Amino acid sequence: MNWKTLARAAALLAGLAAFGAQAVPSLGDKLPRVAKGTADHGKFKELQRVFKSGPDVTKACLACHTDAAQQVQHTRHWTWEVVDPKTGQMLGKKNLINNFCTTTVSNEKDCMACHAGYGWQDKSFDFSREDNVDCLICHDSTGTYRKLPGDAGHPVYVRKEFPAGSGKFVEAVDLATVAQKVAMPSRANCGSCHFFGAGGDGTKHGDLDSSLKKPGKHLDVHMDAAGLNFSCVACHKTVDHQVPGSRYEFAASRSGPPTPRGKYDAEPAACQACHGDKPHHENPLLMDRLNVHTDKLACQTCHVPQFARNAIGTEKSWDWSTATKMGPEGKPIVVKDSAGRRAFDSKKGNFAWDSFLIPEYRWFNGKVAFKTLGEKIDPAGVVEINRPEGKPGDPGARIWPFKVHRGKQAYDPELKNLLVVHTAGEDHTALWHNFDWPKAIGTGMQTAGLPWSGKYDFVATEMSWPITHMVAPKGDAVTCAQCHTGEGRLAGVGGVWLPGQHRNAIIDTMGWAVVGLALLGTLIHGGIRVCVLCRRKKGTNPQ
Amino acid sequence: MSTNRIFLYKRYERFWHWSQAALVIFMLITGFEIHGAYENFGFRRAADLHTYAAWTLLVLWAFTIFWQFTTGEWRQYIPTLKKVDAMIRYYILGIFKDAPNPFQKTSVKKHNPLQRLAYLALLAFVSPIIWGSGIFYLGYAYWPDWGVDAWLSLEAVALTHTIGAFMMLTFFFVHVYLTTTGHTPFAHIKTMITGWEEEEHH
Amino acid sequence: MLKLIIGIVLGAILSVVAIWQTAGKLMFEETVSPFTVEETVARIQHNVQAAGNGWALFGLRYPTRPVEAEGVSVLPVIAIEACSPKYSGPILKDDRTRFLSLLMPCKISVYKKSDGKVYIGTMNAGLIGKLFGPLVAETMEHVVADQKKFLEFDPTKPAPALILPKAGGEGGGGGAAAGGC
Repeated sequence: MNWKTLARAAALLAGLAAFGAQAVPSLGDKLPRVAKGTADHGKFKELQRVFKSGPDVTKACLACHTDAAQQVQHTRHWTWEVVDPKTGQMLGKKNLINNFCTTTVSNEKDCMACHAGYGWQDKSFDFSREDNVDCLICHDSTGTYRKLPGDAGHPVYVRKEFPAGSGKFVEAVDLATVAQKVAMPSRANCGSCHFFGAGGDGTKHGDLDSSLKKPGKHLDVHMDAAGLNFSCVACHKTVDHQVPGSRYEFAASRSGPPTPRGKYDAEPAACQACHGDKPHHENPLLMDRLNVHTDKLACQTCHVPQFARNAIGTEKSWDWSTATKMGPEGKPIVVKDSAGRRAFDSKKGNFAWDSFLIPEYRWFNGKVAFKTLGEKIDPAGVVEINRPEGKPGDPGARIWPFKVHRGKQAYDPELKNLLVVHTAGEDHTALWHNFDWPKAIGTGMQTAGLPWSGKYDFVATEMSWPITHMVAPKGDAVTCAQCHTGEGRLAGVGGVWLPGQHRNAIIDTMGWAVVGLALLGTLIHGGIRVCVLCRRKKGTNPQ
Repeated sequence: MSTNRIFLYKRYERFWHWSQAALVIFMLITGFEIHGAYENFGFRRAADLHTYAAWTLLVLWAFTIFWQFTTGEWRQYIPTLKKVDAMIRYYILGIFKDAPNPFQKTSVKKHNPLQRLAYLALLAFVSPIIWGSGIFYLGYAYWPDWGVDAWLSLEAVALTHTIGAFMMLTFFFVHVYLTTTGHTPFAHIKTMITGWEEEEHH
Repeated sequence: MLKLIIGIVLGAILSVVAIWQTAGKLMFEETVSPFTVEETVARIQHNVQAAGNGWALFGLRYPTRPVEAEGVSVLPVIAIEACSPKYSGPILKDDRTRFLSLLMPCKISVYKKSDGKVYIGTMNAGLIGKLFGPLVAETMEHVVADQKKFLEFDPTKPAPALILPKAGGEGGGGGAAAGGC
């Protein structure tokens, strides 16, 4: 190649570059940027007005989205009720006791801050009124739409101090602006309730907290704000407001190939819906060694190595038995732990929190046995408020990671059932107002329509929460050796043979004994040979 | 006293022996780590390496079986009971008195009767245990395809494999010791390296 | 004779290998903490402040943060930095030991491992001291004694609050730290 050729090549390259730089603008470039969505709600006359209340906004929404409220009313976001298809048992937040604030009954005004509706403060709530459906809690894109405990699900209409006496104020919601800027639900929308279950950031789930609003890849590969940035509904693929992937209809042991997104799938939130049940690509010589784990383990068991992987942490236990204990001056106190999380509250008792927690592992077939209101318990042992079912080795079950939240709560030592406690409210029987257990239990049980012997004590309880979010990058999954070792993570789970952990004591003892005897035999045989050899040398040597 | 050199082990035979020895030792090391006896490579690497070594050994065996039958060398492993008692007496007593080895190696008969029995046991008993269980262990993901998942358990396969491993480890120690029973401690090893046996005649 | 030399050489090699294998572990000490990472840190911080001898908090380090920023999930580590001009002064004044500023401020690391337990890692100041002459050895003896006090926990006392460094990276200890430790 001579210099002329080189020069020609250079000229050609320069020409190409210039052409690229001065490309003729396309038609699209001259137009404004592509809008998000096809309807700008800010331009709708129906929304350019003053809204006095939440239901006011809902009526405006329903003028166009005529069937939306009716769709929402079919969801448990609205009913807080689930019927167990097998037993007919009435489940759902409305009917269950949990291990945190215990029950919604008689405490609706507080609890319903997370109801997708307006005005549920007692049994008289009208579940058929469409304008009681709260559209904005899921569709607000401004982050200003706040619903506080005590308002029975209504947003903040007047600026107010919250928590009372804290000196912090929550601004009144500008309903018109929020209505004009509605959008598809983001992680923050779902998170406004699901990140704050049991009354505080990260308290309940352990794999859901406010760090997932804008997580890094290390925290969740799918929600990684700088990467895939999945919203909740990317997996919980919602059609007609019906949100799939509830704990109550758990896809515990899905198998088979992935379903293309867009094609109907009854369990779109299961990992396998996108990844299939053979997601690992390994050297073929290793014979699908990782993929074979999927018939025993849930994906999450390896790929969520710890939950609450941030400074927010999660609550490990809640002991109600110390509630109503006052501070040194006879006044209710709040004590925080080293990380600033709640450790004691005269209203609620003792708490223990931590971060980066290793799950507990159990076989789980997707079915959960719940303790419902009034159900008999055995106070001698730990009361399992919900028990994940599934036997070791059951082909319909997998080993799942759980957050097990432990605690103590009030029960009736004579009738042997857990008690409904009226905690929230301003009346004189509310526990958080008057610190009087018998009065609070009396009102609670009466509201629930259940008998009470008049006695109360505290019983150890636990509640299991399947861990499924906070999926770590693949390189940070649980390592092989963390299970395949003497006291590994899966020790005692049963139903699996784990090389490196399980062994047969008799075979091992006998094996090593035979090896040892063989070595000993060779040593003796060799020793004699050496001795004989030495003596013979000495004998033949004239000196 | 005079020495007589005979050519005992052909080049492929020696290659086979030493590469197999290396693989078996390596698989014992990695295998017992997978078993949980100690920690060296870490479980995952140990399992990877063990698997790759297994494939390598399978290929080596494929070539070796071909070689054994094309060369007729497989006859070396036909067992015989003739002179077995003499061999046993030699190892128990004669060897200490510097008595002559009752078996004289020739290129047609490389192994003494006791060796033949031992190698046959290795081939007919220990190998099937290790390979049989090992192949099922390795193919665990395909048990449903093979139709064995209903009646075979990983526990049974793993334990069988462990039993085989203990047998192999025992064989290894005894075998290594017996290599020192030549006319000098390293004579047999030298023969296995060079192929030439230097027979000592009294 | 040859056997003797071979023996000595082999012995020497084995010793070097043995030292090489264990030296790293000798330099550092690790104990299990019964508390959470944050509570362990907070208790150590308060112990440092109560230790006297000029000890003050210098700051907290979160070495996992840049790792997480790279998209890697890693268990938590918080390193407490503490310093006492009473001990660092003489070492820094001596030209022959100034390089030991590399080890300043004193660090105590609190971290979780994949077994779920919380560990406290400290430098074996006593051993390091012995390597660098009498001045350092004597100073380090005091540091060792104080460091022991940092790790004495009274579980009957309630968990103290974490002392977070003020903006600018300075220790939250005030006092001596503000004095430019």
